[in-house]
Amino acid sequence: MRESASYPVPAIDWRRWLMGLLALAGVGVSGYLTWAHLANQSVACGQSHDCDIVQQSVYSEIGGIPVALLGLVAYVALLVLVLLKGRVPEELDVYVPLAVFGISLMGVLYSAYLTYLELYVIYAICRWCVSSAIIITAIFLLSLLDLRAGADPS
Amino acid sequence: MTTRQKKRRRPRQQQGISTSQILIVVGVAVLAIGLLVILNSRPQSAAVSSLAYETGVTPEGEPYKGSPDAPLQLVEYSDFLCGHCGNFADTLNALGPDYIETGKLQVIYRNFAFLAPESVQAAQAAECALDQGADKFWQYHDLLFANRGTGMGAYSKPKLKAYAQQIGLDTTTFDACLDSGAKAGEVQADLDEGKSQGVEATPTWFLNGQIIRGALPESDLRQLFDSLLSQGS
Repeated sequence: MRESASYPVPAIDWRRWLMGLLALAGVGVSGYLTWAHLANQSVACGQSHDCDIVQQSVYSEIGGIPVALLGLVAYVALLVLVLLKGRVPEELDVYVPLAVFGISLMGVLYSAYLTYLELYVIYAICRWCVSSAIIITAIFLLSLLDLRAGADPS
Repeated sequence: MTTRQKKRRRPRQQQGISTSQILIVVGVAVLAIGLLVILNSRPQSAAVSSLAYETGVTPEGEPYKGSPDAPLQLVEYSDFLCGHCGNFADTLNALGPDYIETGKLQVIYRNFAFLAPESVQAAQAAECALDQGADKFWQYHDLLFANRGTGMGAYSKPKLKAYAQQIGLDTTTFDACLDSGAKAGEVQADLDEGKSQGVEATPTWFLNGQIIRGALPESDLRQLFDSLLSQGS
């Protein structure tokens, strides 16, 4: 009795769907920024050119790889992991929330660094990058709930 | 399976992730991002290079480098805030010994300051540097691109004045030129001229009159130059 009271079966479906939708939105945002960067296209930013300033700054690439492309890879990985949940052998399935947590944590940390750069170094705010920061933070928070539901009680 | 057995299984299913595993993931994530941040915050080279090529001003008042008799003429519309323009300028500098210094290529710079107010300010400052000589313009040009995106207001007036001092410009004249906004008209005229020629973004360049949009990598540019040179243009 005590066991079932301590570990209620979590209703994780809504979280999975929400994380999937957020990851999909992240793929859209980072995919657009990657395309704009690689094709040297101007980023839609209303009347402002801030997005282009951020996208074309020296901080928009690491060793020649666009930061937006790294984001795209991370969001695709998150999307695949969310879709895989419940579809892989149990011994692997249990680690899916941990992988989602790890990737989204990296995303949150790097987004925080990028936001700092935008505010205090580049001196321009890219609303697409802010959108991505919000999306990855939301995925990270949801992953915490997932992790809590699947954590070792000992 | 009995009810008792089912109750036993549930906790075991949930025993997959331990606190130590979570801590390991957190550690790896922090290390990975720390490494990315270190790689990303590379120091900018702000060294002032001496120029090894001919410089001057066209009859229209635009700065150039390379021989006016060169078979290849590249007119570049550029914004000092634009990262791709900086990369393109670096590429042209890398090709300098083979094409500019050998009299095969002349590069003419025109401002297309459209990204932000600081673009306009930097363009005006470059025009003020040009007043003190075409060689000074190109040194200032290289220094501006080397410092793009390196700090809050990379092209703020104090910084633009500091760059001028760094390359040995007459700072009194330069500061007066920048503060008075004397070059506002010229920078605006360059922008209008670019727009009238179909320039919409930067870098856009005209190679022997043919419009090309965006920066090209060094190998592609070399190939393009060589193919035009072999055609005897």
